[in-house]
Amino acid sequence: MTSVVADRTASSGWSSQLTGTGLAIRRILRADRWFWVTWVLILWSFIPATASAYRSTISDDAAGREVAAALAANPTMRAMLGPPFDLLTVGGFTMFRVGGFTAMMAAIMAVLGVIRATRAEEEVGRTELLRAGSIGRHAMLAGALAVAGSASLLLGILVAISMVVVGTPGGGALVMGAGLALTPIAFAGVGACAAQATASARTAREIGLAVVGAAYLLRALADAASADSPGRTLRWLSPLEWAPLARPYAGNRWWVLHLLVALAAALVGGAFAMESRRDYGAGLRAARPGPAHAPAGLSSAGGLAWRLARGSVWAWTAGLAVFALAMGSMSGVFDAIADEPSLVERFRRMGAGAQDLTDAFYVAMLGILAGVIAIFALQLAERLRREEAAHRDEVMLATSTSRIRYAAGHLALALIVPTVLLALVGALLALPAALRDGDWGVLTRTVGAAVVLAPAVWLGVGIFAAAFGWLPKLHLLPWLVVGWTLIVSWIGAVLGFPQRLLDATPLAVLPQLPAESMSWPPVLIEGALALVLVAAGLAGYARRDLG
Amino acid sequence: MMEGVGDVIEIESLVKTFGPTRALDGLDLRVRAGEVHGFLGPNGAGKSTTIRVLLGLLRADAGAVRLLGGDPWADAPALHRRLAYVPGDVTLWPNLTGGEIIDLLGRARGGLDPARRAELLERFDLDPTKKGRSYSKGNRQKVALVAALASDVELLLLDEPTSGLDPLMERAFTQLIRDEHARGRTVLLSSHILSEVEALCDQVSIIRAGRVVESGTLAEMRHLTRTQVVADLDSAPMDLAQLPGVHDVVLNGHRLTAQVDASALGAVLERLAGHGIRSLTSSPPTLEDLFLRHYDEAAG
Repeated sequence: MTSVVADRTASSGWSSQLTGTGLAIRRILRADRWFWVTWVLILWSFIPATASAYRSTISDDAAGREVAAALAANPTMRAMLGPPFDLLTVGGFTMFRVGGFTAMMAAIMAVLGVIRATRAEEEVGRTELLRAGSIGRHAMLAGALAVAGSASLLLGILVAISMVVVGTPGGGALVMGAGLALTPIAFAGVGACAAQATASARTAREIGLAVVGAAYLLRALADAASADSPGRTLRWLSPLEWAPLARPYAGNRWWVLHLLVALAAALVGGAFAMESRRDYGAGLRAARPGPAHAPAGLSSAGGLAWRLARGSVWAWTAGLAVFALAMGSMSGVFDAIADEPSLVERFRRMGAGAQDLTDAFYVAMLGILAGVIAIFALQLAERLRREEAAHRDEVMLATSTSRIRYAAGHLALALIVPTVLLALVGALLALPAALRDGDWGVLTRTVGAAVVLAPAVWLGVGIFAAAFGWLPKLHLLPWLVVGWTLIVSWIGAVLGFPQRLLDATPLAVLPQLPAESMSWPPVLIEGALALVLVAAGLAGYARRDLG
Repeated sequence: MMEGVGDVIEIESLVKTFGPTRALDGLDLRVRAGEVHGFLGPNGAGKSTTIRVLLGLLRADAGAVRLLGGDPWADAPALHRRLAYVPGDVTLWPNLTGGEIIDLLGRARGGLDPARRAELLERFDLDPTKKGRSYSKGNRQKVALVAALASDVELLLLDEPTSGLDPLMERAFTQLIRDEHARGRTVLLSSHILSEVEALCDQVSIIRAGRVVESGTLAEMRHLTRTQVVADLDSAPMDLAQLPGVHDVVLNGHRLTAQVDASALGAVLERLAGHGIRSLTSSPPTLEDLFLRHYDEAAG
């Protein structure tokens, strides 16, 4: 019945549905301008940084060409960064090293940005005030897409200009800029559809980020597959691969970018169609009734913390398990290249100098996985801050729940769940190799290597807890630390940062097993520091004003 | 003032500042066991801040606060077993149903009475199977009210609990609070809705700019305030304004309007009788008048 009514209003004219889009754009710009400016500038900054570091990485001689060939053949690099097409020019090299990564990060930016201006606003009821004024049904969505599109274009233009400035050919710069603009535009469509499909901004974000993750995983697997395997062609199914496949500086295949335009148009059209068919505040599915009584476990602050985290714990577990298994299944390709000494030396450097290529691969993958798990740990801990901002903490703290027990419920989850996840991804990463070789010892080694990284994850939670207890305004601080860790473990070595900077992350100070030998002091010290910060945070929380 | 045994809330010279703002500026409040105490003031006067101090969410900067014989900051978890709180702006967990939230809060407080829970759901006409996100403001408030009233506690702290309820539900709420009163529970009801306080409360404290400016029974407060007399007369009484206790006399043709002190009412009526009364209304001061008196004084 709802859809019948909605169809009638939908036919009353698109122009009226879009009334007030200008107002919506101004509102979004006012509320979210720092979100977009920060994302665009940080993403853009990778490009000139990499381009200007080119000569220091690949020298203009035979040795340089050998390094380039080694990079291009390395399945770990291909999986992490995307397909190399021409590493002997500044442009082609930059596109390989940070182009695919930037495309993925820009996709995340677009998904988060569109949802934050649409579903998140609608969920807290702010859109209602606007809709009650003379503003059309589609104005907020249109405004959010316009802002996301403009930010994406800005990123593309900055990239193209800076590539021309560093002296690369204009055609390649344009294809690169266009690809890096059109990828987030297409994923703004993903964010728009996710925002329409579900009534919760949180679920919408999880759907949107799962799509980005799936596209990345598909691309990584296809790129790591050997050149003649049929798996390689699967990369055409990943929208994150289309910007690299347009081959900036290595053929400039403009036509590939039409795929991104078509996808963006289809997704945006789909999002508007969904918005026409749903009620304000609702998703596509009507909210189902739930139980009238709470289950036995939901009787305390700890039970509540688990209940609130449960959905995302299962979603992250599934995503990380798939990712770890898929990456682990690539480990076999190293046997094939072990005969090539120059390549072998090159790969070892990526994986903390591991003697065994497969070990080097595990080290690189565990570094990325630990960084991603640290993000999840921080999200779990951050629930404390969000509950307080929404004043949902008050009703719990007005019961006989003490502050310490209340906060400890959330922080314990943020410490325990990620540790279990680390052990799990460590096991799954090595599982394919163990099955293949019948060597189960590798499993214990990688589980140990993963769990040794746990103090880095705890440290993020500890910094959050200390800030939350004493200086809640510093809530971005733990994100900066974790974000820095992730960037360094993902592309730090690639960007040619000074070694001192690379070593100064919570992750890098820990022993990179199995490439390095076990060293207890950093593990124990960092672990103890994290727990002290958590305890200090709890003490501060117990004595400060709330709200 | 009567001392202690029966005092559930004792606040003396409470001060709470937020940066440069002095939210509570020497507030005194005393609530005796078993009374329904109206805590009256406009938004921003400090009602919620006071309640948040009583709940141990905020720490007092100065002054003495006792709640149920304990220290609301240091003994919060133990004291909270004996009280229930309904915030003014109820936010619920979007993915939990109303029933789940009621059970969670009840259990975390130390248990709730299932029969009472069922009865309250019925009286408030609340569907406990809906998710937090899909409740209206009024229904969110009902969830918090059911959770609070279904527990066997000594004290109810209600912060503007009816601001989202429709008139029908307001009546159900009024009846429920009367029942709670009859059972001997103590209620602190903060409100800016005067009729609600008038209907429920035997004691009222009026708060302005972080201080209680008047506190007492409604009858006492009324006594201090003038009654408005409006009369249609055959002839105009020229000398009425000279009577002691008569103020603001306005004669408009045959219609007289005046403010009369409670002590002077008899004399005024005697005088008017000689002028041929055609109609007479005498309205006791409403709570609104009491309230506005304090606020007009402040403005003037």
